[in-house]
Amino acid sequence: MALSLTVNGDRLASTADPATPLVDVLREELHLTGAKPVCREGFCGACMVLIDGKPTPSCLTPAALADGCEIRTVEGLATHGQLNRIQAALEASDAVQCGMCFPGMVVSLTHLLAIRPDATREDIRAALTGNICRCTGYERIIEATLLALATK
Amino acid sequence: MSDVSATMDLRRRDAADKLRGRTRYTVDRYLPGMLHAAVLRASLPSGRIVRLDTSRAARMPGVRAIVTAADAPGMMGIGIADHPLFARDVIRYDGEPLAAIAAVTLAQAQAALATIDVEIESRPAVLTMADALVPDAPLVHPNWRDYEVLLEGGAREGNVAWEATVVRGDVDAAFARPDVEIVESSFRVGRQNHVAFEPRAVVASYEDGRFHIETSTQVPWGIRNATARLLGVPASQVRVTVPPVGGGFGLKFDLAIEPFAALLARASGLPVRLVNSREEEMLTCLFRENADIRIRSAVTREGEIVGREAVVLMDCGAYGGEQIFLTTMTAHTLGGNYKLGSVRLVSRAVYTNTTPNGAFRCCNGVYNTFALERHTDEIAAKIGIDPLVFRRRNVLGDKDLGATGQVFEADVLRPMLDRMDTLRDAAASPPARTDGWLYGRATTVGTWFVFVGPSAATVNMNADGTATLVTSGVEIGSGSMMQSLPQIVASTLGIPPESVIVRAADTDAAGYDVGVGGGRTTVSLGAASLSAAQEVRTKLLKVASEMIEAAPEDLVMRHGRIEIAGAPGSGRTVAEVATRAQAKDGPVSGTGAFTGTGVPAMPGCVAGHFIDAIDIPVFAVHDCEVAVDPETGHVEVLKYRVVQDVGRALNPRAIHGQIQGGVVQGLGYALHEEVTIGSNGRVCQSGFETYRVPLALDVVPVEINLYEGAPSVGPLGTKGAGEVPILNVGAAVACAVANATGKRIQELPLTPPRVLELLLDRKRDLTLPHIAETWSNNLVRPHKTPQGNA
Repeated sequence: MALSLTVNGDRLASTADPATPLVDVLREELHLTGAKPVCREGFCGACMVLIDGKPTPSCLTPAALADGCEIRTVEGLATHGQLNRIQAALEASDAVQCGMCFPGMVVSLTHLLAIRPDATREDIRAALTGNICRCTGYERIIEATLLALATK
Repeated sequence: MSDVSATMDLRRRDAADKLRGRTRYTVDRYLPGMLHAAVLRASLPSGRIVRLDTSRAARMPGVRAIVTAADAPGMMGIGIADHPLFARDVIRYDGEPLAAIAAVTLAQAQAALATIDVEIESRPAVLTMADALVPDAPLVHPNWRDYEVLLEGGAREGNVAWEATVVRGDVDAAFARPDVEIVESSFRVGRQNHVAFEPRAVVASYEDGRFHIETSTQVPWGIRNATARLLGVPASQVRVTVPPVGGGFGLKFDLAIEPFAALLARASGLPVRLVNSREEEMLTCLFRENADIRIRSAVTREGEIVGREAVVLMDCGAYGGEQIFLTTMTAHTLGGNYKLGSVRLVSRAVYTNTTPNGAFRCCNGVYNTFALERHTDEIAAKIGIDPLVFRRRNVLGDKDLGATGQVFEADVLRPMLDRMDTLRDAAASPPARTDGWLYGRATTVGTWFVFVGPSAATVNMNADGTATLVTSGVEIGSGSMMQSLPQIVASTLGIPPESVIVRAADTDAAGYDVGVGGGRTTVSLGAASLSAAQEVRTKLLKVASEMIEAAPEDLVMRHGRIEIAGAPGSGRTVAEVATRAQAKDGPVSGTGAFTGTGVPAMPGCVAGHFIDAIDIPVFAVHDCEVAVDPETGHVEVLKYRVVQDVGRALNPRAIHGQIQGGVVQGLGYALHEEVTIGSNGRVCQSGFETYRVPLALDVVPVEINLYEGAPSVGPLGTKGAGEVPILNVGAAVACAVANATGKRIQELPLTPPRVLELLLDRKRDLTLPHIAETWSNNLVRPHKTPQGNA
């Protein structure tokens, strides 16, 4: 069975086994290595992608479940080479350290900005529980998100 | 020297790609034609290999190479070479490698592993240090006497892999004084997992008779040398390059999986990719070691510490690893905060049949600081003195002696305590709680060091006015390679930091380096880079002086120009001068080398130590406020404040990021990160579901004050800033929880069940029967001082 995936606007066919986790299809077949399979348990959020607009851990998503869906990965968030609002704020805040969690973090926060333009610090903290970061202690990320919310 | 300050608010150049998902870490590298490797690991903690037959696996689909102990004859280690790559005859821990396979796909490699015919006869295991230290305990290394000793001086015997001692002064006399109170405390801490987000990963190839290893490491030269040693080839046959590293924290300061991939690449003739699964990372992590600690002090009623003794047992797991080296640190972590009269300390690395431990941010220091600061509070309580008054009176100041007789320079900790008073008092007091939660606060001090050691740097001046910095430094996330080093070079040459190209580590291109860790990057690599840039500067000024017809000493380098001092806009651009220099004398470059000079210990004072004293002490003062739920034992951190000695802050914002991150990692250690080992010898926490690292909801913003101006031999007065933030988090939280609950805190982490047990008085005092009452009975070998045995 051939899968039909729309990834970052491009319609792609995949011959992967439908049970293969989406993250492996993205990385190994499509060479989109932004999403990171860090825990493979759906806890850390580093492999988060948007599936039909909803942040989803791609490590727990069989490729078959994404068949026919619109998938957006971190690679597809910048438009015309310009970082999106949260990416730009994270860069300006010097929030990035090792960076492994950020592809997933950016996906989650991009979604948060879209659905909660009035998010408070506490909302951001709560929204980030699905994205673990081991380097930053989160504070810069929260500050950057507030900055992004303020610069509509 | 420089005309432009090296202090900058430079943002990271690697951020935009990391935020776009474009950065290629080692885990993201897929070479054409590459094979995938998997490692067969033992599934019992102690045994004897009866049969290991790979012939069936070799015939499995896709298999291109299989390697075993026969392919890796060498032994590695620090201090003693006790560690083979694959188990040879003997299994010493659950998870020990037995064989490795490379196949066309990972699934094929894994399938082939399952067909290796292996028979192992189980043997008795020692899983705890208490078990390992009983007389006639099974020996983890029955042949320990046969190992090559790489550094003389450490006492060893049976399951004691290494023993380091400090004896200064007459401790017995101090404890026998009639005017002292004796305070004794015991502590136990568990292991901590680094949880670096990028697992250990490697892609190896064998090219023109040499190994090329691309790996996620903090120590390219260490990997080069250790791999060569294990494979039995000259070190010059191994080249190590390092892509951006997705987190280290000390995990990647030791060799891990590189030699497997290297051997398989040679055997197959193809590039080989090997990436640890998260489960492998969780189970064979090179954890921060668990430790048992006893401290005893003789203190006068006026609050003077006249004598101190301590026994620290560090579990090194099945192989000595970095714990052998880290036995050294006890002298400084237990003997570097306070003025002591006489002192004797023993630090012992103990073998057990458990997964080997390793370095982790402020290794040894985190738990010894917890122990020392809790002990300090117990002293203050016993003699009836305010803990902060006691600290202020006793912290090391100018000309005071550390445990090894090292003379400390300048008053640093005391003014830092003053600084914390201001920070704390300026802050709003916590809201009055009506929910019945218990409130506690504590201020703790900590002393750490910068791991100096050799580094090399080359600066190549390009004709376009940019400079290329070539080192063996690695960007592990801390920003040292992206911020402090280019800032140092740029300020020396008067060019923008964006014009300094930072070359990724390559052992074929750059000189020897100890590695990125221990807070040494800005110091050692920074000093080498500064020196290299200064050589370039001198050469450019000489050429410029001919072009401008002015003496070199009248020239300045700033804003990309070489000009006459006091005449902005005069002279030539750096690019013009570099172009002219290249045409006239050839390309301009400079080299720099640096190493610590070493501070001597008092004669006869130390035995078995790798360094005598600390080259660059770094101090920290932490203050923590907590609320404890008496119903559940849950600890909530309300406020966290840090005053950190940074020497000189080149990029304050970057340092703030390190402090916030380090404190949060420490909060995990203090409150919920717990590794346990089952009766089968296996680590129980195999993933993120069972090992809880701090989430965004668990943390608070850290209030930070950078203390500048303390003496440092670091370039421009700098000290490492990334290592230290975790140092006294466990201590500060534990002291605050003790103050909140009125209970004796002896163990970390303070998980809700543990705190609740304390609150309900169900927890008995911790006793450590495997630590002998009489200090000297804990020693394999008496400590010989010039006066005789201690």
